[in-house]
Amino acid sequence: MALTVLFGTFVFLLIIGTPIAFCLGVASFATIIVLGLPPVVVFQRLNSGVSVFSLMAIPFFIFAGDLMVRGGIAARLVALAGSVVGHLRGGLGQVNIAASTMFGGISGSAVADASAVGGLMIPQMKARGYGIDYAVNITSVGAIIALLIPPSHNMIIYSISAGGRISIADLFTAGVIPGLLLALSLMITAYLVASRRGYPTEPFAGFGRALQLLFGAIPGLILIGIIFGGVRSGIFTATESSCIAIVYAFLVTLIIYRSMSWSDFVAATTAAVRTTAMVLMIIGCAAAFGWLLAYLRVPAALVAFLQEISSDKLVILLLINVVLLILGTFMDMSPLIIITTPIFLPVVMAYGVDPVHFGVILILNLGIGLCTPPVGAVLFVSCAIGRIPIWTAMRSIWPFYGAAFAVLMLVTYVPAISLWLPNLFH
Amino acid sequence: MTSTDDRPSGADASAPPLARPGGTAFWLRAERLLSGLATLALWISGAGLTLMTIIITWQVFSRYVLNRSPSWTEASSVLLMGWFIFLGAAVGVRERTHLGFDVLLYFLPASAKAVLRTISDIVVLAFGGGMIVYGIQLARLTWGTVMPSLALPGGVGFLPVIFGGALVCLFSLERLAGRFAGLPVDVDIHATGEEM
Amino acid sequence: ETVLRSSDTHPDGYPTVEAVKYMGELIKQRTNGRYSIEVYHSAQLGEEKDTIEQTQSGVIDLDRVSMGPFNGIVPETAVPSLPYMFRSVEHMRHVMDGPVGDQILKAFEAHDLVGLAFYDSGARSFYNTKKDIASIADLKGMKFRVIQSDVFVDMVNALGANATPMAYGEVYSALQTGVIDGAENNWPSFESAKHYEVAKHYTLDQHQIVPEVLVMSKASWDKLSPEDQTIVRQAAKDSVVKMRELWDAQEKKSRDIVEKAGVKVSEIDKQPLIDAMKPVYDKYLSTPELKDLAARIQAAK
Ligand code: NA
Ligand code: NA
Repeated sequence: MALTVLFGTFVFLLIIGTPIAFCLGVASFATIIVLGLPPVVVFQRLNSGVSVFSLMAIPFFIFAGDLMVRGGIAARLVALAGSVVGHLRGGLGQVNIAASTMFGGISGSAVADASAVGGLMIPQMKARGYGIDYAVNITSVGAIIALLIPPSHNMIIYSISAGGRISIADLFTAGVIPGLLLALSLMITAYLVASRRGYPTEPFAGFGRALQLLFGAIPGLILIGIIFGGVRSGIFTATESSCIAIVYAFLVTLIIYRSMSWSDFVAATTAAVRTTAMVLMIIGCAAAFGWLLAYLRVPAALVAFLQEISSDKLVILLLINVVLLILGTFMDMSPLIIITTPIFLPVVMAYGVDPVHFGVILILNLGIGLCTPPVGAVLFVSCAIGRIPIWTAMRSIWPFYGAAFAVLMLVTYVPAISLWLPNLFH
Repeated sequence: MTSTDDRPSGADASAPPLARPGGTAFWLRAERLLSGLATLALWISGAGLTLMTIIITWQVFSRYVLNRSPSWTEASSVLLMGWFIFLGAAVGVRERTHLGFDVLLYFLPASAKAVLRTISDIVVLAFGGGMIVYGIQLARLTWGTVMPSLALPGGVGFLPVIFGGALVCLFSLERLAGRFAGLPVDVDIHATGEEM
Repeated sequence: ETVLRSSDTHPDGYPTVEAVKYMGELIKQRTNGRYSIEVYHSAQLGEEKDTIEQTQSGVIDLDRVSMGPFNGIVPETAVPSLPYMFRSVEHMRHVMDGPVGDQILKAFEAHDLVGLAFYDSGARSFYNTKKDIASIADLKGMKFRVIQSDVFVDMVNALGANATPMAYGEVYSALQTGVIDGAENNWPSFESAKHYEVAKHYTLDQHQIVPEVLVMSKASWDKLSPEDQTIVRQAAKDSVVKMRELWDAQEKKSRDIVEKAGVKVSEIDKQPLIDAMKPVYDKYLSTPELKDLAARIQAAK
């Protein structure tokens, strides 16, 4: 009964076009009332769900990206990248994916990656005549790379959820090759889609021009160095680096490029508010929704069902992947890691799957879930930056889902992709 | 506003002189008030974001340069983030910038659209009401507690929910009332301009 | 049949989770199946601060929480949370089983909660990536991660080190990159969070030996008949024995893993550290009642 109300209300409101945040919030509100529980819990989850320090990276990276766009840092960086790889099919798409891989090396959050890379690349891709849906899709699915390439807080959450039996160092190392593989797979897809859509290639600008652009882009390149070096050397954490990016972008545009006026600053600030407040509102309402799923034991019921079905390791892994993809559609990543790890891990270990290997499968799978509506923070961030409805992105995202799914299958059925590198260190 | 005098106040100067209550003048005044509130909320959110930036920068500077970690920075920036989110999200209700999945609406006639959008606005209103009522309950429940690192009442953390909820209610009421009055509140922002 | 819902932030299999499950079995037997307990582990229903509010509102029935989040709610809980308040784990268990423990449990009732029992979480000590800590002087200027709690911040600062509040999930990479020099925790957490992979020096200063507490929602409690209330209270007390057994075994297991990994474990003369706590005690023992409670704890054998 409660489950019917929860999903029924949610789907109904979704179909009639209610904003997703309120679909989740109102469905939870209605279910709590049906259950006869005090409704305060919905609004407590709403507040706690967003009172999380690391979420600050979302507005910060979007704000920084907006400052970089308005102040001209982004344009110079992308002009440089364009002069180097712009003559390839889907050149800026390739740059976007490469940037996600690099950013992934400093940030463990796919949402922050989409905010930073998307904030930088989507407006540029739009200006160069790429389809916005293409830019949004590449940004979204490319951001999953950040979860696999270390550092990755989600890997730590996984290890802790597994009762601490798994070495985080091994998990970090295990994510490197799958992350690079995903980047490669997405680059090929970006190339194919760009060819089919006939995106124009740009002529090679020549070495002199490229050098000139390099010089103009130096302050932007230094920022990448500052973030990378700052996090690696321990001056600040990954979350804090998003804030340093704002300060740096602000100072460079103010002092070096002299292209920041008070009204530019106000416009950048209010744009960041408009873009991120609603994404964070969805995250808050998803916390209430997730609380009800946990309370109603939905994940546990799904798993009980799964265990009935098969005793074949390959079948079980496929089924777990399907279940995780479905759960990932409706719930956020970290609560899902916390809830499903203690349930799934003993199952797969009984079938002889290495826990480090399973961690990579789990992170990649739930990473795809971040790009699938109705609860897909990464896709929402990218759509918000590109100012397109989710539906528009969804229509053309399938090749990129396909690329990510292919990598997921490879990672699932070829354990060596994950385990070869960490085993080198043993 | 609280005057018992029935004469129009000075704020009405630009309204048509013959406007009756509930007529154009009322709408203009309400529109101006609400749009002023939305701008104010947006400014508070923006100021919150700027302050968060300054606080976290100070946290890094203080730890790395002064070798001293202030304990209030993380807690206070999280608190500011609450204001930033809930006020910003309320403005999103007015500006219709919230992310939705409005596939069905594309295929429906205008009258059916209006009905469904009315339902949407009503549930958003209900949720806003919940934010106020249960936000107050939570604030009262936790008012006697002490927030770590800030020495503020624990309930302060729920104030953004309450105020954000109030704005969500006002802005969804505005849309409902506007639609009944035949104002173009549903002009599809997705269909305008080349932002697409 | 009524299922009592209980929250715990620890993962399945953790001593506190298992103890509450055990308590559920006892209740089920003793009420002939009328009541049982379902444990929502791994913070499925929220972090401790949130689940306390949920318990107060009657959304969930039982909650296993550490003492820290209660410090701002129930003033009495601040006393056993103070650094170096207990001399040893045995001292703590002895005190919390006695009249002092009962007094603190009773204090929860003014806040819509019923205190049922104290579990424990061993002793927390410092670990770091840099050096063996031989004396208080070695702590000077080192950056230690602490939980977002005033007592922890004041304690670390009073020792001459720098308290750095930070989310738990960030600690591993912060240790690795040198954002912080160290952190502090008990054996099982030091092991399960894998911090021992990067922090190779563990100093047994045992600055915090803090009980954890199992509370029930006042609303749920009032729904029980007086007989059932007695059964629940007794089952909670009985589960403490089970919890301590499991805890001691877990602690030994974790310590073995950590020591095998080459972590250097060292003892330290605690007296200079205890002496440095004077300003902290002055700040937190702010009323005669709290001072009296502290005196009774320290006087206990
Ligand atoms: Na990463
Ligand atoms: Na999803």
